[in-house]
Amino acid sequence: MGPDDGPGTVVAWRKILWERQPFPDNYVNHCFMEELRRNKGLRQYRYWAVVREAGLVGQQLSCVAIFITLWLYMEEGLLFPGTILVVSLATLLMGYGLYRALGLRVEPVLSHRTCLADLQRATIYLAFIFCISPVLKRLTESLSTDTVYAMSALMLLAHLVSFPYTHPSPTESLSLNVALFASVCLASRLPGTLDTFTMLSCAPMIFALWPCLLRRVKDRVPCHFAVGCAGVCAAGVGGLASRWPGGVVLLVLALVFVILLCPWLLVRLQRDKDNIHGPWDEAEIHEDLSRFLH
Amino acid sequence: MVLKVFFPQCCNRAASGLLVGRWLPQHNSAVVLAVIHYPFIPIQVKEYIRQMGKESHVDLSILGSWSLPQDGEEDKDSFQDGLSAIFDMQRWLQVSRRLGHKGFTCRVLGETMPEKEKKKSEEKKEDEAEEKVIFVHYEQRKVMLSQLHPVQNGVPDSRDDSLSELRQVFHTVSSSGPLFFLDKYDDSPLKSTHWQSDGREGSIIVELVKQASVPLCALLRWILAVWTWICAMRIFGLFPLPFLWSKLSSCVQLSYRTQHLKTLTDGSQSQLLRKANVFVSFLVDIGLGLFLASWLYRDQHISMLADKLVPAADHVAKELEELLQWLMGAPAGLKMNRALDEVLGRFFLYHIHMWISYVHLLSPFVESILWYGGLSACLGLTFALSLLSDMVALLTFHIYCFYVYGARLYCLKIYGLSSLWRLFRGKKWNVLRQRVDSCSYDLDQLFIGTLLFTILLFLLPTTALYYLVFTLLRLVIVLFQGVIHLSVDFINSFPLYAMGLRMCRPYRLAEGVRFRVLSEEPGTALHLLMEINPLKSSVVVDTYRTPTYSCYPKDSWSALIKKLFVGELIYPWTYKSTKGHAAKAD
Repeated sequence: MGPDDGPGTVVAWRKILWERQPFPDNYVNHCFMEELRRNKGLRQYRYWAVVREAGLVGQQLSCVAIFITLWLYMEEGLLFPGTILVVSLATLLMGYGLYRALGLRVEPVLSHRTCLADLQRATIYLAFIFCISPVLKRLTESLSTDTVYAMSALMLLAHLVSFPYTHPSPTESLSLNVALFASVCLASRLPGTLDTFTMLSCAPMIFALWPCLLRRVKDRVPCHFAVGCAGVCAAGVGGLASRWPGGVVLLVLALVFVILLCPWLLVRLQRDKDNIHGPWDEAEIHEDLSRFLH
Repeated sequence: MVLKVFFPQCCNRAASGLLVGRWLPQHNSAVVLAVIHYPFIPIQVKEYIRQMGKESHVDLSILGSWSLPQDGEEDKDSFQDGLSAIFDMQRWLQVSRRLGHKGFTCRVLGETMPEKEKKKSEEKKEDEAEEKVIFVHYEQRKVMLSQLHPVQNGVPDSRDDSLSELRQVFHTVSSSGPLFFLDKYDDSPLKSTHWQSDGREGSIIVELVKQASVPLCALLRWILAVWTWICAMRIFGLFPLPFLWSKLSSCVQLSYRTQHLKTLTDGSQSQLLRKANVFVSFLVDIGLGLFLASWLYRDQHISMLADKLVPAADHVAKELEELLQWLMGAPAGLKMNRALDEVLGRFFLYHIHMWISYVHLLSPFVESILWYGGLSACLGLTFALSLLSDMVALLTFHIYCFYVYGARLYCLKIYGLSSLWRLFRGKKWNVLRQRVDSCSYDLDQLFIGTLLFTILLFLLPTTALYYLVFTLLRLVIVLFQGVIHLSVDFINSFPLYAMGLRMCRPYRLAEGVRFRVLSEEPGTALHLLMEINPLKSSVVVDTYRTPTYSCYPKDSWSALIKKLFVGELIYPWTYKSTKGHAAKAD
């Protein structure tokens, strides 16, 4: 009932503002509180599904570990740069083939032009690195080793933090750039120019090309995604264990924390969620914008 | 209404006669210029007044009569009453004084009030003759020579009613030169008393100079025309020469002095004070220059200087070499990139060796160069100073080159770094919107960009240090040149003549007047003495400064520091163009 009601005039309140009603603008009736909802749209997480998704984070940690292992081996001179170059070239070709094969499922035509363009870009990049590596080698000569290690550690941490775990993400290029910066810092400490060149050719493979491939694998053959992540984690742990026991301990702890503990926490804490929704929420537009994409 | 009569002090004791002057009806005042004594023939007086008025463009007229009975003279009152009828003036003053009394008495005859007020007081006819009069005494010679500031451009029309009263008084007195030519000692039908009756001043030297200046000006004008014609020849317009002329300060000073001389000799009578300033500063300049030249050319000073010059240049180069060796090591414990350090250091060392060989090549000619250069001091101290500044610039040319190299390298580095830093964060500069926008780069762009960024970042301290060192050296030289230019500018522009006038004859430059009460006896009119307030020295300097290419700092401090930080080349002193001066000189 409105405040100005006279006897005999009962006007129903409608939730509109474009007509004058005998109610004040902020009037609500009894339906208001009846529309309260709790935890609307609550997602039910299943533990192992979450673990599978968290595997992405874990595998990125292991990628960094693999990179550090490679650097440790080259610094102590245990691996020849030539060997690494050949192996990485082979891996690159295999990965590229797999990438194109997985792409064939959606676009049946394998265009030679894209292959040629990719080859051209790779050649330009490698030539550039080859010319620049003597300069890069002497870049951090005057800095102390501690400074270089601290900078690289900081940069790799920033890389992990800004990595685009969901695609697309605004900080995509930042993570890649930061990882390259760290690799340049580390590569300049290696004993030979060829070592520097090798390191700088492996770094984009590990940090730029492998995530692309993994993403495609996850999209097209999801069952193999978990296998891939597990493999990378194992390789990282194993590689680091052979040269740096302290680092292995840290890595294992981190992996366990990220892959096993955090999903459990997530599922467990869903129980304590208590959101309320009601007519007082801000309006959201649920519109299907996909019709603009074609 | 109060009537103000401006009465010259020299006429206080004049014998009786007629008052000649000018009415200022809108201010209700009268300016008395002279007294014409008895005996006179009225027709001759009228003719004389008309002629004087035409010559001086001032509205002269007979204001009234003046009576100062000497001992033994009979009273001429009744005679004076008839004079107003003879001269048929609208208003007539009858001023009289007795010897031994200070005050004057004054009667005003004729229409005292304008039309509409007359109608109001038609009943009060007896008040017509009782108008209050104030006598303002002024010293005629001083007011005649004085100029009231701020000076209005152009000759003001004497009938221009918008001028203030004071300005009209000053203008009347100063324009009435022809009236003051004849006085009571001359053998002419009319005998008058004015300031020149106290003793005419004349100086033969001044007259001779005035007579000689006209052909001299003509000669100078011809020489300047020939010189300007030579300078304007096409051969001097080929590409590097105009640029060189504008950079060498001696050439700038030469063109400047030519400009000055042109304004001096253009033959017009306007802006005499400015021309006098220019002339006096020119003379002082030449005098100081001759003094310097005489010092240089005796006692073998020139060969002494020449002997010291080449070893000094050698010493500078050696110091620079040591500096570069220090930079190539680990200067101040800073971490320099060894390779880049060596490259840059060797590059600059090579330049220094080239420079030293050049100086040694010139060393046999140094003495004669100095000898001929010293001759330029005869043209003025400013020329000698400009030449000194040019020589310093030439001798330290290598420092300038190093500064340019270092600054360009640094600027390029800073520019590249800022652009690549944006790429590092995944953004780019939107030129259209003048802001930073996000951008999705290709993979290979990211790879190469990041690598370049790393390289530039690690090479930054080395480049920055070289840039800092050479910028400091350049700033020292620029400071030295700036001091020289400032002093040249000071000599060029300081109004010596005006300041001299202000010291010695302060009444020539008047800011205003002040009044002092002379006598206030009841029964006589009020007497005030008008004294001239001289212009303040700072205002004199401001008004009469010759506009020069005053070199002043082009940028403010914050803009300068920003330019240094970013690596832009700095040219801190800028010259105002002389075009403005040429326009003003008309």
